[in-house]
Amino acid sequence: MPCSCCIIPNDVLTKLSQDKKLSAVLRKQLVDTVQVSHELRELRTQTAKLTNVVAARAAGLVTLAAAPSVTVYDCKHTQTLPGTPVPKPKTSSDGSVKRTFNQTTKVAKFYQQVFNRNSIDDHGMTMMSSVHFGAKYNNAMWNGSQMIYGDGDGSIFVDFTRGNDVIGHELTHGVTQHSLQLAYSGDAGGLNESISDCFGAMFRQWEAKQDVKKADWLIGRDIMGPGAKKRGFTCLRDMADPAAKHCLAPQPTKYSQVTPGMDPHYASGPPNLAFYTACATLGGYSWAKIGQVWYHSLTGFGPMPNMTMKTFAARTRQGAHTLYPGDAAVFAAVDTGWKKVGL
Amino acid sequence: MDRLKIERVGGFAGFGGPHLKSRGEVALSDLSPADQKTVEQLFADPKKVAPAHPGQADAFSYRITRGAQTIEVPEHAVPSTIRNSVKDVLE
Repeated sequence: MPCSCCIIPNDVLTKLSQDKKLSAVLRKQLVDTVQVSHELRELRTQTAKLTNVVAARAAGLVTLAAAPSVTVYDCKHTQTLPGTPVPKPKTSSDGSVKRTFNQTTKVAKFYQQVFNRNSIDDHGMTMMSSVHFGAKYNNAMWNGSQMIYGDGDGSIFVDFTRGNDVIGHELTHGVTQHSLQLAYSGDAGGLNESISDCFGAMFRQWEAKQDVKKADWLIGRDIMGPGAKKRGFTCLRDMADPAAKHCLAPQPTKYSQVTPGMDPHYASGPPNLAFYTACATLGGYSWAKIGQVWYHSLTGFGPMPNMTMKTFAARTRQGAHTLYPGDAAVFAAVDTGWKKVGL
Repeated sequence: MDRLKIERVGGFAGFGGPHLKSRGEVALSDLSPADQKTVEQLFADPKKVAPAHPGQADAFSYRITRGAQTIEVPEHAVPSTIRNSVKDVLE
């Protein structure tokens, strides 16, 4: 029985379990699934409540660990989560496992050293990843509690763990979940995706010790497969030039081009360009000042699930003043970035 | 009405954009009775599907067209036979 049935509405499962055309074994499995499904729903509801309570009471929480544990699981090309635990991922002979462990550990270090953040929830939450998810699965995602990476089909995409920006992007979705708690549609959805691209790009630049001029500002460069490269696509997204022809997923460059119902991976174009422009205008390292302004705007005010891009822009302008009162160049750079995209 | 047209959208790469597509097709009659009933229920009330985990991001959705009606549902609600019918292509 496919595991996907666990989340089919219970009334559907109940009806199916009473269908005499189905075998007795299958009907019994359906009854069992109804119970499991019910418990999963309860768990999901409780997870949402817990996230909210944690965000509201974060200051009083006991920290789990001074630095997070990093765990890696192997799905062995199935879609069953989390998969089999890998006992010593740091020394694994499996490249995907080893890369995921090493890069996730470095993302934890990046958040600790640059933003003084202890893991995804700022309280030492274990960073859990599953690799080899599905068969030739062209995706990486954050499922609300862990990272998931597919191997790619070998043509359009290669192994998604090959992109350190991809790993930084997915982990940042967790940070957003434990701070602004942005929704996944409309302006908030575009911001959610953009924030993951911004911090994914910053992490990549920090690892390579690149300043804003040396950085390529490409998202997904290291996961492009031979079939995509042959067609001239060198990346998924280009934060410096979101509409460029070399982007497999070209984005709008103006806020006015963002339309209702647009996929968040496209609506993120204008805030991506605003961030890049602010960084390029100020110069130096992206994470040194502009990154701090973005982080302050993401984590400094509690949840705002339906935040608009206009509100986020205003918060970063204010943040530039608050964090760097004696450095007018920071505010000017942030202002230039948002004006470039019409905000 | 026997055929279902499937399009997988979203994901980290933003499938469904100008260059990146993921499409497939299945005959309803080729699905198991359980999967056929799941499809019936999805079309009867696609909003009844359980929501994803809070905070989930970059997951796929599926646009399923039967006749003149198209629904969009999250990957976790789609039977594996339908999920496996799509092929990723560059356009």
